[in-house]
Amino acid sequence: MTSETTNLGRITISPNAIATIAANAASQSYGVVGMASKNIVDGISHVLTKDPHHGVEVKASEDSITIDMYVIVEYGTRISSVATSVANAVRYKVEQSLGMPVRAVNVHVQGLRVTRTD
Amino acid sequence: MSKTGTDVDSRYRETLQERYRIIDGPTLKKMVVASVDWLRTNQQIVNALNVFPVPDGDTGTNMVLTMQSAMDEMNEKHERSVSQVAHAIAHGALMGARGNSGVILSQLWRGFSRTLDGHDRMDAALMAEALEEARETAYKGVVRPVEGTILTVSKDIAREAKAAVQNGATSVFEILERIVDAADTSVEHTPELLPVLKEAGVVDSGGKGLFFILEGMLRAAYQQPLDEPIISVQPLSAINLEGATEAIEPGQDWEVIVDFHPEGSLDLQNFYNSLEEMGTSIQVGEGDGMFRMHIHVPDKSEYAPIDYIRGLGTITNVAIENLMIQLDGRTQQGGIQDLSLQPIEPGQNAVIAVAPGIGLARVFASLGVTGIIEGGQTMNPSTQEILSSFEDLPTEKVILLPNNKNIVLAANQAAELTVKEVFVVPSVSVPQGIAAMFAWEPSGEFKAVSTNMTAAIDEVQTAEITTATRSVEIDGVNCEAGQVIGLLNGKLACSGDTLDQVMMEILDIADAKSRELITMYYGEDLSAMDANQLSDHIREQFSELELEVHEGGQPHYQLILSIE
Repeated sequence: MTSETTNLGRITISPNAIATIAANAASQSYGVVGMASKNIVDGISHVLTKDPHHGVEVKASEDSITIDMYVIVEYGTRISSVATSVANAVRYKVEQSLGMPVRAVNVHVQGLRVTRTD
Repeated sequence: MSKTGTDVDSRYRETLQERYRIIDGPTLKKMVVASVDWLRTNQQIVNALNVFPVPDGDTGTNMVLTMQSAMDEMNEKHERSVSQVAHAIAHGALMGARGNSGVILSQLWRGFSRTLDGHDRMDAALMAEALEEARETAYKGVVRPVEGTILTVSKDIAREAKAAVQNGATSVFEILERIVDAADTSVEHTPELLPVLKEAGVVDSGGKGLFFILEGMLRAAYQQPLDEPIISVQPLSAINLEGATEAIEPGQDWEVIVDFHPEGSLDLQNFYNSLEEMGTSIQVGEGDGMFRMHIHVPDKSEYAPIDYIRGLGTITNVAIENLMIQLDGRTQQGGIQDLSLQPIEPGQNAVIAVAPGIGLARVFASLGVTGIIEGGQTMNPSTQEILSSFEDLPTEKVILLPNNKNIVLAANQAAELTVKEVFVVPSVSVPQGIAAMFAWEPSGEFKAVSTNMTAAIDEVQTAEITTATRSVEIDGVNCEAGQVIGLLNGKLACSGDTLDQVMMEILDIADAKSRELITMYYGEDLSAMDANQLSDHIREQFSELELEVHEGGQPHYQLILSIE
């Protein structure tokens, strides 16, 4: 739980809330076509679903946030560029929304979606 | 619309339509080379459109690098068919894709090349199909496409190409002309679709990049130069007279604008050459046979361009403005980016300060800081913004002045993320930051300078006066929403109904009588006249103290007072 004490009381932000922001940023990030379960046993990957924090793992302590993103990338894109863009977008959106620094965004490309091969 | 080629007569256009009716691989190659040249020429224009301070790099640079990789791959192969050339481009773009815009660009080429599969040559209908497939492929790469971006531009292009074919266009050249025009319109429309662009007053950078790529191809067909970044023919509306005074240098005393109808056709190259002998900041716009010339010239030669143009045709309108006066007016309202900061000596102790307003930024600039980040109470810069403000500096020794409690953390974070030696002076207010600057030495020993600067922040008291956004009682001080409140060193100290009353009270609480100097920075909500009235009152009450008054330009805080 990330928290901050103000004159009026404490403000806490749950990892789930942060995950929603991160997932939202990822969904608008070019080349990301879905989120995947971290756990391979869960197996099935989803195209971004109703679950707003699927495929996002947030570790938040008193003053630092680490985010792990498990993503599916469109086949035929340059994966390293897509992953870098996701990391940047997530960090920017989370920092902008929370006003707190993000220590790290780790992007795990769990799979590729092939619409067409050429 | 793009004015590329509008000064060409219709017979020449017919020739071009014929020449580019159906194109082969080598022709496509030439067009792509031209598009890379033109994009590179306009790279900085595209870079300047970035709105997000995301370290994605600059869009223009990313697109150039992506296209460069595409071109290299294309040039390595000696293919004759459009299919193979396009595949080489797509492959190269994929391998070299940089940043978001680069990835999207590579997807566009991928879709485009797929349609050309097995074709030796490309005609208008095939090109329209390929553009549609490019759009389709690009849109597939994202779950929630954001409109008002390069994606939208690709969609508008595909639609225009299709419409052109339906209207009987049979030449690739015609399609190219139409889609350059459509791309231009589409780019201009992006702020309507994406509010963040509108707020920043820019168009989408990726879309603009795509426009330059297409326009480069068209310029190549017209055999127009591809390497003229400063002097370029623009649509009339693009010459923004207010923006034209940016970066005025010595010898730019007068701004002269002349509208005219040239007699016969205008030899642009000659025209530019002659103008360049007279002055700088040359811009020429064209529309419906009418030209507008914009130039900055030195004093006493403000009539030279007019006399020259009189020989070329009929002048319809002339505007002359004294820039030195215009400039004086501007310094009051310029943005933080217009500030002139001191050049940095390699290896010196550099200071980066966060400033919430233009006036305060100017104060920091005058004290010798190397970089200024805009930010404050309600607009905290991100770690990344702070990081990128100093990462490229030619020194390893950086001192940060966050000047706000909420920014100290991000500054510390930035310090951890870099290999440079960074020291964060924990200044939580602007007066503290300014006090620290007085202890700064550019060439002193880093540790000692940092320590001295940190010690200096305790030598000032900071009083901030603002309006309460809600009713609250803290530390025995009551205030109602809408009342004026005074904070001393970050703590609520007093409240009242008028600015003047709260200001005098907080100076008493701060025991200003026993101090030597009060510096007042008035915020953006106050006029210089308001500030004068307030400062007169301080002078009356504290006649033995020195008082300095500066325009701070900060939002939210009507006054920031430094007491030392």
